[in-house]
Amino acid sequence: MRVRRFIERPRVFALLLIAPALIFFFVWNIIPVLTLIGVSFYNYSMVTGMPPRYIGLGNYEDIVYSFRLWESFGRTLSWVVVTVGIETVLGIAIGILFWGSVRLPGRRLALTLLFTPMLMTPLAAGIFFRLMYEPSIGIINYVTRWAGLGTFSFLSDRSLAFAAVVFVDVWMWTPFMVLITLAALGSVPKAELEAAEVDRLPWWRRLVTVVLPHAKFILMIGILLRTIESFKTMDLVFNMTGGGPGTTTELVALTLWRRAFEAFNLGWSSALAFILLLMAIAFTSIFLFVLNLRRRQQEREASA
Amino acid sequence: MNGSRRLQQSAYHLGLWLVAIIFFLPIFWVVLNAFKSRRDILAVPPQLAFTPTLDNFRDLFARETFAPYMTASVTMSVAAVLIAIAVAFLASYSFSRFKPRGTDFLMFLLLSVRMVPAAAVVIPIYMMYNLVGWREDWLGMTLFYAMFSIPFSVWILKGFIDGVSERYDETALVNGGSRFHVVFKVILPQVKPGLVASFIFNLIFVWNDFLFSFMLGGRTTSMIPVLLSTGLYADGGVDWPFISALTGIYVLPPVIVVFLFQRFLLVGMTFGTVRGEV
Amino acid sequence: MSTRTSLWTWSRLSSRLALCLLLGAVMALSTSVAQEAHPLEGESIDMTILGIGGWVPSSLGAEMANDLFKPFALEEYGYDVTFTFDAAPFAALFQRAAASLATRSNEYNIIISDSQWLGALSEPGWIVNVDEIIEEHPELDIEWYSEIVGVGYQEYPMYSGIRWGFPQAGDVVVMFVRRDMLHDEAERAAFLEEHGRELPYDYEDFLEMSYGEFEDIAAFFTRPDEGLYGHAFQYSREYDFLSMWMYPFMFSLGGDIGDFEDENRVYGILNSEVNARAMEINRAWQQYMPPGAINFGIAEIIDLFTAGQVFSAQQWAAVGPAMIPEDLPEEFDVMVVPPPGLIQDDGSFNRLYNVGGQPWVINAFNTPEQMRVAIDFMRWWYLPETQMEYARRGGSPSDAATLNHPDYEDMKPWNRAFKFMLQDDNARDFYREPTYAQLLSTQQEAWHAFASGEIDDAMNTLEWIACEQQKILFDSGASEIRPPAECRQVRLR
Repeated sequence: MRVRRFIERPRVFALLLIAPALIFFFVWNIIPVLTLIGVSFYNYSMVTGMPPRYIGLGNYEDIVYSFRLWESFGRTLSWVVVTVGIETVLGIAIGILFWGSVRLPGRRLALTLLFTPMLMTPLAAGIFFRLMYEPSIGIINYVTRWAGLGTFSFLSDRSLAFAAVVFVDVWMWTPFMVLITLAALGSVPKAELEAAEVDRLPWWRRLVTVVLPHAKFILMIGILLRTIESFKTMDLVFNMTGGGPGTTTELVALTLWRRAFEAFNLGWSSALAFILLLMAIAFTSIFLFVLNLRRRQQEREASA
Repeated sequence: MNGSRRLQQSAYHLGLWLVAIIFFLPIFWVVLNAFKSRRDILAVPPQLAFTPTLDNFRDLFARETFAPYMTASVTMSVAAVLIAIAVAFLASYSFSRFKPRGTDFLMFLLLSVRMVPAAAVVIPIYMMYNLVGWREDWLGMTLFYAMFSIPFSVWILKGFIDGVSERYDETALVNGGSRFHVVFKVILPQVKPGLVASFIFNLIFVWNDFLFSFMLGGRTTSMIPVLLSTGLYADGGVDWPFISALTGIYVLPPVIVVFLFQRFLLVGMTFGTVRGEV
Repeated sequence: MSTRTSLWTWSRLSSRLALCLLLGAVMALSTSVAQEAHPLEGESIDMTILGIGGWVPSSLGAEMANDLFKPFALEEYGYDVTFTFDAAPFAALFQRAAASLATRSNEYNIIISDSQWLGALSEPGWIVNVDEIIEEHPELDIEWYSEIVGVGYQEYPMYSGIRWGFPQAGDVVVMFVRRDMLHDEAERAAFLEEHGRELPYDYEDFLEMSYGEFEDIAAFFTRPDEGLYGHAFQYSREYDFLSMWMYPFMFSLGGDIGDFEDENRVYGILNSEVNARAMEINRAWQQYMPPGAINFGIAEIIDLFTAGQVFSAQQWAAVGPAMIPEDLPEEFDVMVVPPPGLIQDDGSFNRLYNVGGQPWVINAFNTPEQMRVAIDFMRWWYLPETQMEYARRGGSPSDAATLNHPDYEDMKPWNRAFKFMLQDDNARDFYREPTYAQLLSTQQEAWHAFASGEIDDAMNTLEWIACEQQKILFDSGASEIRPPAECRQVRLR
């Protein structure tokens, strides 16, 4: 009984419930991150057979001077902006289109088909799009030839490769933004919508004044999640282009993978990984700050 | 409803289906390939009329690598996500009701770990697992995936629990229920959409993961995406029949799950702001 | 360097002669010992081979292990062994192996490694030094067809005489040519009119063929409107694909890629005018290839050639069975010849290609039982009849006895060219430093950028690679030579 009463104390109970999560967090996050930081100060390669050698900030210095890497950072940045941008716009558009489709015959099946691309293994998507993009036997070129547009070497032409990979990512993840949009639109209170209808507001006014304020929060989370995933993209390009032609589709996650697990240069890779972690934390905090700011503002408005 | 209105409605519905089909088309093409011979897959012009064959699937099931990889995929992803949801649910309840100091900070830290490219996460985990011998180990892999699934589950579930009025808790406690009773009997049933949504959402990521499985998994603990990569080539180039059949089979379970639990998924993605139909 | 090489050859030959005399006696002795009582008699053992996915010689090795070695071991030694084969593509195999070996795992007992991984696998102590095994089992000191076989597939460092593996598959670049097109009367007449000389007719006509001469032929057969192109070889950024077709141009022109036997110097050797010229020639060949050449790898070349879209293609001899499969259309008459060479500045013809191929290596963390089976397996693998069977199935042995066998050349269409290209005059191998993967991906990235037209200055590209590679070697402690100060200014552009 005493044990039970002890557990029932709010503070104890709160801690008890969080404990498993904290253990996970400690073992799989804190320890690894500390290891990562530690190793990043060493010249440590798994394959040279040499013991790790302390080199201070040597790895970081190397990264700062690595121009190719900064190009790769820049490319990753434009990758994130372009893919997330297109997916958001397209996803919201299709989501609005599907809004109020309750009477659509076979709606559940239609939505499932629409969501399927994001369920496909990215690695497989990369492999198959390589085949579809193939200039002589690929089906996409068959269509373009049929339409009289000629043959395109989508993945080997420097001016097309980046766009071709963006296209695949957009195909895969626009459905996710559709899902988020549907959820966001669903969160708009029915009463307010009906009121707007009674007021005979034009559709775009309805969108801006009624829908957006409510849907914003979920949409923002959706965009945040997409940004996160987009920043990490690697599986997709891994088999589709391998970063080529030249370095046209070399994203920073791919560079890191190469250094870490093709070359097994773990010291240098840890340094880069730590930099990426800091960037991630910085980005997430900015994003959440903005999100919370709006939320607080909304709450203030609501209470006022 | 008059005629032109009905026509408009039909056109609208047709348009919606068209959008869905356009997105599905590439998958359909892959699935179609799974029923073609290698020669038909690579044929120019593309063969729409072909003799379907089940040979690719027969070959796939006969491969000695298929069963262990598939077993690993199913058991590890389901176990990992379930563990993650259990852990996340408890933590979210605590975050939501007791609001311990540092809640916001911890929630934020949880998320930022998800933000780093996989290779960055796997470097220290790989070194750590080497040290303690958890590589190539089922439990080691599963717990890792569980860790990976916790952040989003917490985010989704906290929203849902926030949406359940605290009156429920108070009433149950006043009536003499234990706190565990409140958590499991009162709150748990009310956040079902959130549980299902976090299950599906995390399953998609674990199910399709390649990098972690490739680096941390061994011969019996690697999942199908690794087989897609290592079995890519056969004598004479890319093994298209094998890859097509495998991809076709592998995309099926998540599709079925999404079809069955679509309602929950849509509600779940509102992060608890909506409790009814979406 | 040539004097050193010939000295080596001499000393090795003489030692080998002495060994050969001893061999007969020792072999008789060791087999009789083995027959008495094998320590593993009555046991059953599982072994796993990790090999290259979709690679004929690798899968043949695994196939023969179960088909032939299993009954052999049962009868000869009295134990029952079962082999499992696990595979990964070239680009992923080293990761798969290293990730496992770093945990001191004996998950993979025997590994078919690329020769360039010998350094990375041996320095951390993951694989067995086979010198002791060879000393114990002298029948494993085999006379190879050429010096490059031993040096390329066994030694790290190269030419040190320290051995880490056994040649599993020898491999060289050969050229697959459509003889039916060459023999077509109308084509011959048209070519004669256009160029004032005959199209080559048979194997011998390709022996002294330079890229300059061959270019006319490739251009002649490049007819995009008919869906036919003159030539194809690899430019892909994956793994070493592009490098393996960049090196032949450099080597044949007389260029070099660094001194990896002595002080590990790259800067000042790789960045030479002659190599820059080789890069230009290499890049220009895309005009005679089907669209998308910049992404051609092993698989793409097979698909294009067997689909009849190219007149000729360079390819590894090891995938001969896939280049000339049994279900080729009837009109296909394929001839396999040595690939073209280049004319050096002094007017001499030179053809120097890189060898491919893989050694078997043995996991150092094997249990004594697994080690024993691995050694038994190696001894069986190099039995003359095993090697002959390997050749018969389309594999690529590289021992002198098999290759010099009177039946060998006619066994497969590519055997003659294979043998020709494996001669020391035509073949060499490249670095196998532990940092191999990093050295390689540096040059792959830069050369791919050049070949795709992303950058245009060949000399600057070489400078950049040389700087980066020198830095990698210096940082990893493999070289005392620092990259020169001007490297800070060099950028890939």
